Amino acid sequence: MNNFFKKKKRWLQKSERSVEKQEQEIKKSLDYSKTHFINQKNNKTFTLTFIQTLVDDKIVNNNMLPPLIEEEIASVKEVEKRLPMSDIFVSKDKNEIENKLFHGYVMVTFDDSPEEFAFIGAAKNIGRSVTSPEIEFSVVGPKEAFIESLDQNINMIRKRLPIKELIAEEFKIGELTKTKVCLLYIDGVTNKQIINTVQQRLSEIDKDEISDSSYLTQIISDNGNSPFPQLLDSERPDRIVASLAEGKIAIVVDGSPHVLIGPTQLTEFFNSFEDYLLNWILASFIRLIRLFAVTFSIMITPIYVAVVTYHYELIPKDLLSTLIISRRVIPFPPILEALFLEVTIELLREAGARLPTKVGQTIGIVGGIVLGTASVEAGLTSNVLLIFIALSALASFTTPVYQMSNTIRILRFPFLFMAELWGLLGITIAFGFLLTHLLRLTSLGQPFMEPIFPFRVKDYKDALFRFPFNMQAKRPIFLRTEKPQRFSEEKAKKKKDIDE
Amino acid sequence: MKKYFFIPLLLFTVLLAGCINKKIIDDVNITTGIGIDKEGEQYLGSAMIPVYNPDKSIENFIFTAKGTVVRDLMFQMQQTSSQPIVGGSLDVTLFDETVAREGIPHVLDVFLRDPSVGARVHLAVVDGKAKDIFEGKYGDRGNGRYLAELIESNYKTGNLPLTNLHQFLHDYYQKGKDPVLPYLRQTRPDLVNIAGLALFKGEKVVDVLDENKLFYFKLMVDYYSEGALKIKDEHGESFIKSIHSTYNFKVKNRNPYKFSVTLEVDGMLTEHTGKSLEKGEIKRIEKQMEKQIKKECLALLERFQENKIDPVGIGHFIKTQTRNFDFKKWEESYQNASFDVDAKVKIVEVGVIE
Repeated sequence: MNNFFKKKKRWLQKSERSVEKQEQEIKKSLDYSKTHFINQKNNKTFTLTFIQTLVDDKIVNNNMLPPLIEEEIASVKEVEKRLPMSDIFVSKDKNEIENKLFHGYVMVTFDDSPEEFAFIGAAKNIGRSVTSPEIEFSVVGPKEAFIESLDQNINMIRKRLPIKELIAEEFKIGELTKTKVCLLYIDGVTNKQIINTVQQRLSEIDKDEISDSSYLTQIISDNGNSPFPQLLDSERPDRIVASLAEGKIAIVVDGSPHVLIGPTQLTEFFNSFEDYLLNWILASFIRLIRLFAVTFSIMITPIYVAVVTYHYELIPKDLLSTLIISRRVIPFPPILEALFLEVTIELLREAGARLPTKVGQTIGIVGGIVLGTASVEAGLTSNVLLIFIALSALASFTTPVYQMSNTIRILRFPFLFMAELWGLLGITIAFGFLLTHLLRLTSLGQPFMEPIFPFRVKDYKDALFRFPFNMQAKRPIFLRTEKPQRFSEEKAKKKKDIDE
Repeated sequence: MKKYFFIPLLLFTVLLAGCINKKIIDDVNITTGIGIDKEGEQYLGSAMIPVYNPDKSIENFIFTAKGTVVRDLMFQMQQTSSQPIVGGSLDVTLFDETVAREGIPHVLDVFLRDPSVGARVHLAVVDGKAKDIFEGKYGDRGNGRYLAELIESNYKTGNLPLTNLHQFLHDYYQKGKDPVLPYLRQTRPDLVNIAGLALFKGEKVVDVLDENKLFYFKLMVDYYSEGALKIKDEHGESFIKSIHSTYNFKVKNRNPYKFSVTLEVDGMLTEHTGKSLEKGEIKRIEKQMEKQIKKECLALLERFQENKIDPVGIGHFIKTQTRNFDFKKWEESYQNASFDVDAKVKIVEVGVIE
């Protein structure tokens, strides 16, 4: 950690500078405030220095100034002892000044000893209140979602995990933004090696600005050039807590309402937290439907293009007439027809996402219905393909993790390209590449395709299916936890009657 | 170097893509039926192409050509077509009786060499000209579908044994078994009837089995026969639907060969013209049916012997029972073999009125 701060030797690195010089620099900002006061008991003058926009006026006026002016306080030492506030500390280090002022501290100095400073925390908290989750909404279960404040987010996690083993390690990342990043894990459960990996990667980040947790996903992922996200982000505290309890790590970033979870597997991106809130039979069924939807969404258009272009023999005889009739007036080859529709759908999505909600809905309706019908009537696309494209767009929305659904969105284009070039053989080759890529991926050093490969039957309990809780007594093998047993399996199965 | 391995790969992908022949479904003529007739010394080939109209109705267009080599026929048809004629979606192939009596496997050779032709293409021998059958208008799904479905449904619920390209070739190459094909006859411009079964000796048709013998034939070659049979006795006529049947061959004696054939039929009485089913009536119908099956099956087996053909596969059966089986000797001893047919009929259901 110390190493990390020492390494920075750029233009922002502060050498020992005088108070006056620092003051000169900060003074350029309009919200800099420096006021002199006189203590009424001993007539000593003292100065309050702070950045107005960062400091809460009420705390200064109501809690800080009355005792400072009315009580007998003569030095910064006494400030620390007598002020009725908790976040106070005294320092002689001039380098602290800039750092503290810009984090919402009020600096108190006495004119007779200008080399001693007391810093009093009075930061203003502007932020929205806790709302219900928008992306990972569930009908049942808690309706709390993370917000942009790190403290509030950790508070929501700690409330659910009130144990001393939950460790929250702090990192400061970004030379300009000085973003607070917090690594959470349960000591004695989470694998030490995974923790070390994350610690190392976080401390080695060399970027001046970190605005959101998704920056970190891209920076600390094992393979930054993969379209697949390798860290899961969630806005639900309950999901984070469940993951921590499994033996994973969580990364909370100040200013980001999304918390990262790692290591993850591919299958986890198709799990929604609601799966745990439903009966295991329903949950498993819904999971399988989602996996089917993903495969369908990626494959259906390429298969259409391949079959219609090269393999008319594969079409069932009864379907042949439907397909031929729908295509007979279309002037384009199947690939252009498919690309035209795919691009239209992507445009609709992008337009819908960029516009304000109300306008976005209109765009969806206008685009979806009017464009679709019109293009079929104009003879630009076949109605069979229109159905396939609409279905595959619908199917891609079932992916519960937004980052992954974006990946699914672009994944069909290489397949489409290969289908046009080489037909089904091309699709097979593209699938081979995809599979190879997935098999090579790791998430924080753990295999991404587990439990499919490496094949581990025991980890299927919470991957493609969601088996009942009494079968989830062991933590996933791929996390290599220090405490593999979560609870006693036998006890969980027993259901005692009251008179036994 | 390893870093750039994908560049040649990418180049190949783009450059070689043009080498593949595209067959976009609406830019090819998809043949659904091919007919081979004999006209004088030449073959008359006809290829039936469905034409899909915008109002979703289907018409048929027939390309014809004359020649001595089947491949040449295809080539000539291609010359008159605006789009490539492809055969990957073939439903039926028909041969007129003259061609069939001369032998069809050398005609079939063309289809066997084409990997896009499936093994489930239906073959049939036609009474009259195949071209005439194609020129009719049957059903609303196109003639190809109609003919294929005619044969399929008669296999599934009627008296026809399984006869597609796969089964035909299996029987043809199987020593000790001769292939059979359905025998079609156009009865009306919009109807085709399965008039019987063409029996092959090797690659040539030698005999045609009549429609009313099909039930007995299917009993001896197929397990789950779904056929139906009419029984007549002094109390009236009954119609029995076979819901389950098994056959069992046994060697009773080897020199000369004597086989026992046991046929077990579970049947369902679907119609009875007598006033009511009297006591013992069912037993009587069963007995009558057993008698009829015994008689007809024996007659069939003897007829096959006479024609020196073996569509039931007795030769194949005896081969599985004999070490170092000699087919040359078998051909002689087949003529002297005798059969003992036994039938066990059980009527398991008579319907709801009693």
